[in-house]
Amino acid sequence: MAARCVVQSARTVLRSVHSNFINKGLFQRIPQFSFLGSVQCRGLRHVVENKEGKTTVIEGVIEPTSERPQPPNPKAACPIYRWNLQNKYNYTDVLLLSQFIRSDGGMLPRRITGLCAQEHNKIAICLQMAHRAGLLPDHRPRLPEGHVPKPKPNPPLNRYLTRYSVKSVKPILKTGLKWCKKRMSVGHPALKNNVTYSPKPLYIKH
Amino acid sequence: MSSFSRSAQQWATFARSWFLIDGRMQPPGKIASMCSVRLQGKHKPIYHPLSDIGDHVVVMNTRHIAFSGNKWEQKVYSSHTGYPGSFKQLTAAQMHKKDPTVIIKLAVYGMLPKNLTRRTMMQRLHLFPDDVLPEDILKNLTEELPQPREIPRKLSEYTQEERDTFPMLWTPPEDYRMK
Repeated sequence: MAARCVVQSARTVLRSVHSNFINKGLFQRIPQFSFLGSVQCRGLRHVVENKEGKTTVIEGVIEPTSERPQPPNPKAACPIYRWNLQNKYNYTDVLLLSQFIRSDGGMLPRRITGLCAQEHNKIAICLQMAHRAGLLPDHRPRLPEGHVPKPKPNPPLNRYLTRYSVKSVKPILKTGLKWCKKRMSVGHPALKNNVTYSPKPLYIKH
Repeated sequence: MSSFSRSAQQWATFARSWFLIDGRMQPPGKIASMCSVRLQGKHKPIYHPLSDIGDHVVVMNTRHIAFSGNKWEQKVYSSHTGYPGSFKQLTAAQMHKKDPTVIIKLAVYGMLPKNLTRRTMMQRLHLFPDDVLPEDILKNLTEELPQPREIPRKLSEYTQEERDTFPMLWTPPEDYRMK
């Protein structure tokens, strides 16, 4: 859902950018986006060599980044608010979540990403659920060199909307009386306000 | 009604059709509710509890079902054979390891009406842990039912083009060293 929203707003912005270029009589440039996880993010650098007599200066000059679509709400400090994505993303929106993580799957600090505290917390929750559902298979902590993991006898159990870590949870042997049952929690209460399009209410306790 | 004639309706109602469900990454409860409706014949307009008009249901890939939340560890299946000291409690993960079809079997069994027809209906449920079905069942299949849960895509399953069209929500500062 978030992906759809973002792509839509990006498209509208792109259209305006294109029309500007056409009006100005410039050639059309298609903006290139790169992904934090897959491509380097600090802008391309090309090496410049300057020879002045005996001294040679080799410099890596940052190339100016190409045109990017502007967010619909550019004044906001938090990137989620900038793109109007509050309550519109979930653990399945991997393309969004992968922008806020390092290569080992941990989250980037808030002073770098500029997320507000609430959205940072929500993204951390979504990320955890995405990791546990196996949606980010390439973002795992690096193994020590020369370490070969043991082959596991059983395939991993498929799970989704997993709130607690696998090892911390104990079986509910006694569910309790009918009017005060111990329930199994599914999902996270922080994502309760997410936009839904189904008439069914959201059940967090199963 | 040109494509779906009266005689075809008649056949669909009175013949025993065979449904196929793919259980890969699906919650067992949702699969079981789909199965129990078909096994009882409640999807037919002529349904009556005394008339035996249930269909056959084949569920494949039961080894690859998905539980939501922490149910693999928290959900407990209890049993008692009647002998002293035979009360057993196994978690869903332990049951699944013993027999990869038993979770769906128990879920369907619990959703069927508790009367003498329950065992008969259970005989019309065919569970397979993988996607290898025997020849005689493959011949009978008439329809594949849609999966109740949409399987989310992994990050590695997105194409490079899709990744590139997704806009960057923020740009890191130029001097930040990304790990």
